[in-house]
Amino acid sequence: MAGVTPLLKDELDIVIPTIRNLDFLEMWRPFFEPYHLIIVQDGDPSKVIKVPEGFDYELYNRNDINRILGPKASCISFKDSACRCFGYMVSKKKYIYTIDDDCFVAKDPTGKDINALEQHIKNLLSPSTPLFFNTLYDPYREGADFVRGYPFSLREGVPTAVSHGLWLNIPDYDAPTQLVKPRERNTRYVDAVMTIPKGTIFPMCGMNLGFNRDLIGPAMYFGLMGDGQPIGRYDDMWAGWCTKVICDHLNLGVKTGLPYIWHSKASNPFVNLKKEYKGIYWQEEIIPFFQAATLPTECTTVQQCYIELAKQVKTKLSAVDPYFTKLADAMVMWIEAWDELNPSGDESAKLVNGSAK
Amino acid sequence: MSVSTPSLKDELDIVIPTIRNLDFLEMWRPFFQQYHLIIVQDGDPSKTIKVPDGFDYELYNRNDINKILGPKANCISFKDSACRCFGYMVSKKKYIFTIDDDCFVAKDPTGKEINALEQHIKNLLTPSTPFFFNTLYDPYRDGTDFVRGYPFSLREGVPTAVSHGLWLNIPDYDAPTQLVKPLERNTRFVDAVMTVPKGTLFPMCGMNLAFNRELIGPAMYFGLMGDGQPIGRYDDMWAGWCTKVICDHLGWGIKTGLPYIWHSKASNPFVNLKKEYKGIYWQEELIPFFQSVSLPKDCTTVQKCYIELSKQVKAKLGKVDEYFNKLADSMVTWIEAWDELNPSTGLPNGSVK
Repeated sequence: MAGVTPLLKDELDIVIPTIRNLDFLEMWRPFFEPYHLIIVQDGDPSKVIKVPEGFDYELYNRNDINRILGPKASCISFKDSACRCFGYMVSKKKYIYTIDDDCFVAKDPTGKDINALEQHIKNLLSPSTPLFFNTLYDPYREGADFVRGYPFSLREGVPTAVSHGLWLNIPDYDAPTQLVKPRERNTRYVDAVMTIPKGTIFPMCGMNLGFNRDLIGPAMYFGLMGDGQPIGRYDDMWAGWCTKVICDHLNLGVKTGLPYIWHSKASNPFVNLKKEYKGIYWQEEIIPFFQAATLPTECTTVQQCYIELAKQVKTKLSAVDPYFTKLADAMVMWIEAWDELNPSGDESAKLVNGSAK
Repeated sequence: MSVSTPSLKDELDIVIPTIRNLDFLEMWRPFFQQYHLIIVQDGDPSKTIKVPDGFDYELYNRNDINKILGPKANCISFKDSACRCFGYMVSKKKYIFTIDDDCFVAKDPTGKEINALEQHIKNLLTPSTPFFFNTLYDPYRDGTDFVRGYPFSLREGVPTAVSHGLWLNIPDYDAPTQLVKPLERNTRFVDAVMTVPKGTLFPMCGMNLAFNRELIGPAMYFGLMGDGQPIGRYDDMWAGWCTKVICDHLGWGIKTGLPYIWHSKASNPFVNLKKEYKGIYWQEELIPFFQSVSLPKDCTTVQKCYIELSKQVKAKLGKVDEYFNKLADSMVTWIEAWDELNPSTGLPNGSVK
């Protein structure tokens, strides 16, 4: 039964990191214009970023970030799109949609333009089903349901914290894969949304991502990347692994699949390899860490979970590299900054009522 | 880079349970004719099932099952398509594809007929990736790969034990859903194959299912259903939960998604509700049971895992209903029968994780 998807225009901010320009917004205008934009300008703050006419926005460059956060600004990456998480922190809305400036409107197989934001909203407003796999994918979509054998007590689902969209054209590959397969394009439109099961980690890409900021915002820290850091292109990955562990603990869901956007630019694989190089090795330690991470039942808010995770990162990953000690400290700083900018009354009052499992 | 899929025509049996007739095979002829069929005839053994000309097959009715298994025949369901698992037991092939007799060739969105068997073979011959979710789904398909952030050490994948296909038209719904939504049809073609992650259970439907018999065959027992049993329509579900737990333990993968078949017949929801009724309640106990099962390290073969599972079924589910004691005993009988009919010629070398 088709209902009209609420616009949520006063409840959702669109966060866009950029160093170039925002010309891509012209193509998105029919879908984005009702919404407030938060532009996080990375790179040289003296450069003026031109925002197309008609959009309602706030823009922050490095000077603004430094001014607003003071010493805590050091937790926000510089010269890396990871800086976008500053936008999550300063937003006052319930939902965030974040998109890269080389992502355009895709078409579905019928040739129709895809309203990615609308699909993300659908995903976020309907429950997730992390506790048991439904073979017909998202049971809350029109024309689908839970299949035979799906326990009835699990059919209410859990609140959806994250909606992870995908990309046609240039796929989100790492540097080795880009070097080996420079011509591969993602042309396969998979008409599905699904919940990533509890206990399963995934690679969260920040190019086309929606989330419920009230539910999971503080976990969406995109780490220390870029200038002065030994690693890049693991910002969204880091946020995704932390977020998934916390969602699993608090009984929140993460969906992946639709909507697609059209990813137009392939980043330079040689540059990417430099950025990712250490990550290729570190990942091998990081993944088992997250797979084994458990959070105590006393951690009942996202912030508490995140601080606990930071402790565990410091204890268990510092042996991998001192970077993780720095990162753990930055994670704590992030939470402190988050709570300062979002004092109890809006954020902490909305404690997640997820039952800690 | 497209490589043509091997037909595996001497390595794969198609197992079909039936009580009616096998007219549906005419539509499948272009895809099935080169394969050996194992027909398991349920219901009245005096009825003759006509197999279309040109198919190479063996057919077993209840008398055959009783003759071959003797006293152990009581582990094979009667008057229920669960009897199909007898076909798995008597097969001598490496792979099994099983399909229901109301399942036809579906068309993909371009209008092309789907060779379901070929897709199952592709699924079974490529690795699975149960340890980490790939957001572009099966990375071994043409035109796709592992995405950024996917650990490199996990890109070899693990052997695929099961390929679970889906259904267009009549979806596989339980009785309550059928009663509430009698008009719903599955018209959505989802062009994906994916691995069901480790630690996650799923509802395995036997309508369009393939598996590596050498890897996982003994776990594919479809339980006690039908005549004389308090429950029905949980045969494939039971096999799926046991199979998944064992695959997780032995480090093998289960894929779901493509291929689609066209499911033509909606079974009677009133009849279904009677069959499923107890299952609706029992399921609530079964799922937590399977979710928390752990198998000891010394269970290094499927048979050992299965016997251990049957012990745990008896210990923990016997109190839900007496049926589970019977079922646990049948699980053991099944393994004994399996091993008799398939004497050790090479136990699976599953690595215990």
